Amino acid sequence: MGDVNESEESEELTKFRTETRDWVAKNKPKPPGFKLPQSFLEVESDRQFEFLRDWQMLVYDAGLLGYDVPKEYGGQGVDPDRHRIVMQELHRARAPFLVNVIGLHWAGPTILAYGTEEQKKLLGPMLRCEEVWCQGFSEPEAGSDLASLRTKAVKTDDGWQVSGHKVWTTLAHVAKWMILLARTNPDVHKYQGLSYFLFPMQTEGVEVQPLVKMTGEGGFNQVLFDNAKMPKTALLGEEGQGWQVAMTTLLFERGAGEGSGRERAAALVGQLKRLVRLAKKSRRDGKSVAEDPLFRDRVAGLWAEAQAMGVTAARAGVDGLNVDRPMGVRLMNKLVSSEWNQRLNELACEMLGPDVGLWLDDPNAPDAAEWPRGYMNSFGMTIGGGTSEIQRNIIGERVLMLPKSK
Amino acid sequence: MKNIDEDADGLTAILEAPTIPSDFGFTEEHDLARTQARRFLQEHSSIERVRKLALDDVGFDPATWKQIAELGWIGLVSPEQYGGAGFDQLHLALLFEEMGRRLLPSPYFGTMLALAGIESAGSDAQKREWCPSIISGEKLATVALSEPDPSWEPNDVQTRVSPDSAKLTGTKTHVLFGRQADLFVVPARAGDQVGLYLVKAGQDAVRVEPEVSVDPTRRTARVIFEGADSIRLAGEDRAELGTWLAKGQAMLAAEMVGAIEATLGLTRDYAADREQFGRKIGSFQAVKHPIVDIMCGLELARSQALAAAAAFEAKDGKAPTAARMAKTLASDTFAYATRKGVQLHGGFGFTWDCDVHFYFKRALWSRGTLGDALHHRRHLAAEIFDHA
Repeated sequence: MGDVNESEESEELTKFRTETRDWVAKNKPKPPGFKLPQSFLEVESDRQFEFLRDWQMLVYDAGLLGYDVPKEYGGQGVDPDRHRIVMQELHRARAPFLVNVIGLHWAGPTILAYGTEEQKKLLGPMLRCEEVWCQGFSEPEAGSDLASLRTKAVKTDDGWQVSGHKVWTTLAHVAKWMILLARTNPDVHKYQGLSYFLFPMQTEGVEVQPLVKMTGEGGFNQVLFDNAKMPKTALLGEEGQGWQVAMTTLLFERGAGEGSGRERAAALVGQLKRLVRLAKKSRRDGKSVAEDPLFRDRVAGLWAEAQAMGVTAARAGVDGLNVDRPMGVRLMNKLVSSEWNQRLNELACEMLGPDVGLWLDDPNAPDAAEWPRGYMNSFGMTIGGGTSEIQRNIIGERVLMLPKSK
Repeated sequence: MKNIDEDADGLTAILEAPTIPSDFGFTEEHDLARTQARRFLQEHSSIERVRKLALDDVGFDPATWKQIAELGWIGLVSPEQYGGAGFDQLHLALLFEEMGRRLLPSPYFGTMLALAGIESAGSDAQKREWCPSIISGEKLATVALSEPDPSWEPNDVQTRVSPDSAKLTGTKTHVLFGRQADLFVVPARAGDQVGLYLVKAGQDAVRVEPEVSVDPTRRTARVIFEGADSIRLAGEDRAELGTWLAKGQAMLAAEMVGAIEATLGLTRDYAADREQFGRKIGSFQAVKHPIVDIMCGLELARSQALAAAAAFEAKDGKAPTAARMAKTLASDTFAYATRKGVQLHGGFGFTWDCDVHFYFKRALWSRGTLGDALHHRRHLAAEIFDHA
């Protein structure tokens, strides 16, 4: 589901969709014979990374990536319809994900909004996955309260010098670039003293240390900066404008960008299908879980919500149907879909009964233990990019204009 | 072991959303109509008027009802040849949303469902005979749907029609504004065939006993048919009763969405204004977060209600499923919104003076009508799991 307007597509777009579908079917790589990460949040080994990088390159070289980036910066020229179609068809085919997510969806749009001509040229290698991006926002003492971050960038004659400690840094171990939020002025209010940088990771004084998640998987890191240098041209936007630029990134990260809600909704229905199939093959008390009214009730509820999320993503683009709260449905997208995903995975774990106790590498683990693993990994989405609790504060204060909580 | 990625089970087609235009078919015309409706209802269904009518014997204002007919709202989506305006279902959903906000005490919902019944099941001649006078407001039609043994399955209908004489016998409950109705649209069975019948009020064989409704803006009656004369709606291309009921579910869901919006507004405003411990209570996260959750639930229910309305225009057969979902989501969110709405108003929320209780009661009434959330999820589950 998810494509509410598929039937309305012009002949030209329908042709593009068919061609894309055929291309994906023909070129989608076979399972590599080793465990693939469930999302970009847990890319661990070199072979996992290389497999995913090669896939993104293949998609780019086929001319399918970059319909949200102008041609002069390595894209295909901005064409939201084609962009949407490509994303939908990749989801539909359950093709491997595009590993340079932080670049494609967060850093890229931010650079397009604030970057110099020179900076915008970084988008080509980003699209082709020649250069991977990571995000340096969170710190050990600055999670939900991001603006209190302490990593500092001090101005030097020829650029900046960074010292500090970033954490939960997905993909840092393979990244060429980091979008970095650092304090450039400690003497002003916390929101005014930040600047936003495009930081080159292969720099002396940078140390990337892997962190291990609750699943035992790697994929994210902490990054230590000890007087690491970057050039003047690393600054994105103005000095002191960092918070504003970072909010643009977070807006994209939380799925408020045009189209991304719709893509996410399509992915949710894909998950729902897998849940239904799990119910059909799982047994409980001598009968199929698919016959158990209590499980059925909860699956049906998730379906109704998934369909509503899909049409909500479409409605986000119709101003006349958002008159009460113009930004409401865009800002709630991340909160609602990440919590839905968590409930789905938890329900799947319940369906497994005692078999939920079988973990990765156990030959009898149903679906290679993807459900308990998915449930654990779902917290990456309800915590990362601003916890659900912070999302509720943001929606309460910016959309419903309730008094601030602090 | 079966592969959960395999798509040979037809699930993709089942789970697919209805095909609707990406803008839901929304136009400037819809926008203007909504503004007009909002203005009218602000004046004619202010909370002061709702409070007055809540204590009134009849429970709605006949003068307002007459104006509603004159505005063309009763015939809003009816075909022009039967006296209607022929607008699309999105128009109707947006109008219901506005009525829900203001808790308009009115026979409108029952009338619209009755009219939709005649239009879906009647012959051309029957529609020409009955629709114009209902649309003009000359005759008040309503539906007599539920029965003492409650069920929303059309096949469970107990009310019977004798095949030879068309005498209709049975008891119907919760008939909206049954005391004032001139005409009832009644599902009933003749043998094992369930169909829709028209019964005129005022017959000796039609007994109307007023009920005391939990929702004072929705008056109901128990109507007992004791061999009443009836007319079978006998169109050759009559739609299934389930499709007709789905239209009702979509209408009710849209109205509930409007009422949830109003509940959210009242609760938000109180939390933003009320001070305790030297600060606005809306600054406490224990107060703020549930209000946000109401909003999120509301926005999902609203999208689904609008999508269901648009789906009836698309005619790809998925509208009834979309309507079920809309009713499910609206029921659960309305319940949550009004529960939290009363609670977050504190001691004031427990009083008659606080407006929230009117929405609370509307929620109780609406949730149980035309199938509650559990009923619809049971059906949705069957669509997912019990296909061939």
